[in-house]
Amino acid sequence: MRARGPALWLTAAAILGGCLVLGVSVGGVRLSPLAVWSGAGPEGETARLIASIRIPRVALAALVGACLALAGAALQALLKNPLADPFLLGTSGGAATGAALASLLGVSPLLSPGAAFAGAVVSSVGVAALARRGGRLDLQRLLLGGLIANAFFSAVLLGVFSLASSETARTMLFWMMGSLADASPQKPLALLPYAVVGAAALLGSASRLNLFSVGEENAAALGVHTERSKAVIFLASSLLTGAAVAFAGVIGFVGLLVPHAARSVVGNDQRTLLPLSAISGAALLVAADAVSRAVAAPAELPIGAVTAAIGAPVFVYLLLRTP
Amino acid sequence: MTAPPRIEARALKAAYGPNPALCGLDAVFQSGEIVAILGENGSGKSTLLKVIARIVAPDGGELLFDGRPLAAIPRRDTARRVAYVAQSADLVFPIRSLDLVLQGRAPHGRGFSADSPEDRSLALEAMRACDVAGLADRDASALSGGERRRVFLARALAQEAEVWLLDEPTSGLDPRHRIDFLDVLVREHRARSTTVLLVTHEVDLALSLADRVLLLRAGRVLASGTPQEALTPGTLREVFDVEARVDRDADGHRRVMWVGRTGP
Repeated sequence: MRARGPALWLTAAAILGGCLVLGVSVGGVRLSPLAVWSGAGPEGETARLIASIRIPRVALAALVGACLALAGAALQALLKNPLADPFLLGTSGGAATGAALASLLGVSPLLSPGAAFAGAVVSSVGVAALARRGGRLDLQRLLLGGLIANAFFSAVLLGVFSLASSETARTMLFWMMGSLADASPQKPLALLPYAVVGAAALLGSASRLNLFSVGEENAAALGVHTERSKAVIFLASSLLTGAAVAFAGVIGFVGLLVPHAARSVVGNDQRTLLPLSAISGAALLVAADAVSRAVAAPAELPIGAVTAAIGAPVFVYLLLRTP
Repeated sequence: MTAPPRIEARALKAAYGPNPALCGLDAVFQSGEIVAILGENGSGKSTLLKVIARIVAPDGGELLFDGRPLAAIPRRDTARRVAYVAQSADLVFPIRSLDLVLQGRAPHGRGFSADSPEDRSLALEAMRACDVAGLADRDASALSGGERRRVFLARALAQEAEVWLLDEPTSGLDPRHRIDFLDVLVREHRARSTTVLLVTHEVDLALSLADRVLLLRAGRVLASGTPQEALTPGTLREVFDVEARVDRDADGHRRVMWVGRTGP
């Protein structure tokens, strides 16, 4: 049940590489990877031109997928709950509202991760406060809190949506449905530093998360400063979620699906599970994006619809298995 | 391994939100003794263990390790000396028993990660000592209650802790697993001269196992002393509101017989 060692990472890298190539090739115009690579001749030139649009999109999908999967994996271990996910806990909704309000106020899009981060923190603090009962987080209340937060933030977004001009309305729709369609070359670059900081904080907490995944009291009894660690992990997850949402809107279920699948391959050691979740999350979202462009080409399905179509049944399965 | 610290609680207080759990508790635990802690549900037994394990922060009074306030000692340092075995661990995620035992090495390792070859050999040795070496590769969440209790005891051994805090370690065990667990506990306690604080509802267990007994009521110590001194019909009535008789069985061992409820 536990694959380890170089073979694991080579396989994961090969799958991600395959998804990246697929992501660049698939779409309204189908490209052969060879033409993109060589660039020779008129066909190669065209291929390069298209690739220069697609490469940023694929890079953005990969980063967003990695961020959401990492945040989900860390929250699941921290809360000792396989149903934890930034989307289901309302963190993504808070981030989207923060980013949408900032864009409404005319803040530069490249700064919107800050606003999304603030929204994500407000939401996760609020949901955690709601779920706290007698010093511990209650599972049912946590999921209900996420539901309420999502309902509240959708209401805010819909309110803004109905008052806004048609141009703003289009932006609001982007935050709510999630989209990778407007990927400019700057977006993945702007997302990268947030992803690196958040990922470093979580990977650095992997051993503590192993202790948390047996229980918070377990971590405390083994010497972990639990309040401090929880703050770091919540903030890092919010940062990753906020950054992902700021550039791609709300895309659900990635944080739920990916750690679950990765855990079934490598077990629950966070030192392996977190990096594998990041790689798999990147691969999944790139592949899902390719599907969303290929199914009804030249039209596109919303990416959130594709992830939900895979994620919702998995959620039901996990819910039925959770005691 | 150094000698277990002398642990002293002075007017110790702790609460869960508005609900007080310890209300000025005074107690001393000497190095190397087995102390059974008894009392009604809600009398503060488990909370006392959790405060010593630094899971719950006290909000009044003092807790001293060899005369040093606990709050002045880094958490990791006390985690190397004190092992806590919870009453139940509902394991949500699968975890190999060996990995669970290796967690006992976490306070010793850099950044809480500990699985050096030395850590592994200590963990395996501890599992052998607790007769659970054969379970090393099994998923701990699928073990029986008795097996899991011994795996957690093995973890306390791997932790090289001098103080073991056990919260109702025999509850829910069938007779065979109960005997297996207690055999291992007593054997390893003697081999390592550890201090054992044991919360239990079994008065007979306290009589047969403990050097000393602490009876709690409403977050305070009501009586303490050797089992013979502390467990009398009078103190049992006061702690549990139950009439009891203390008899001797055919082998001359003391036994507590519950007679019935006191009062209305």
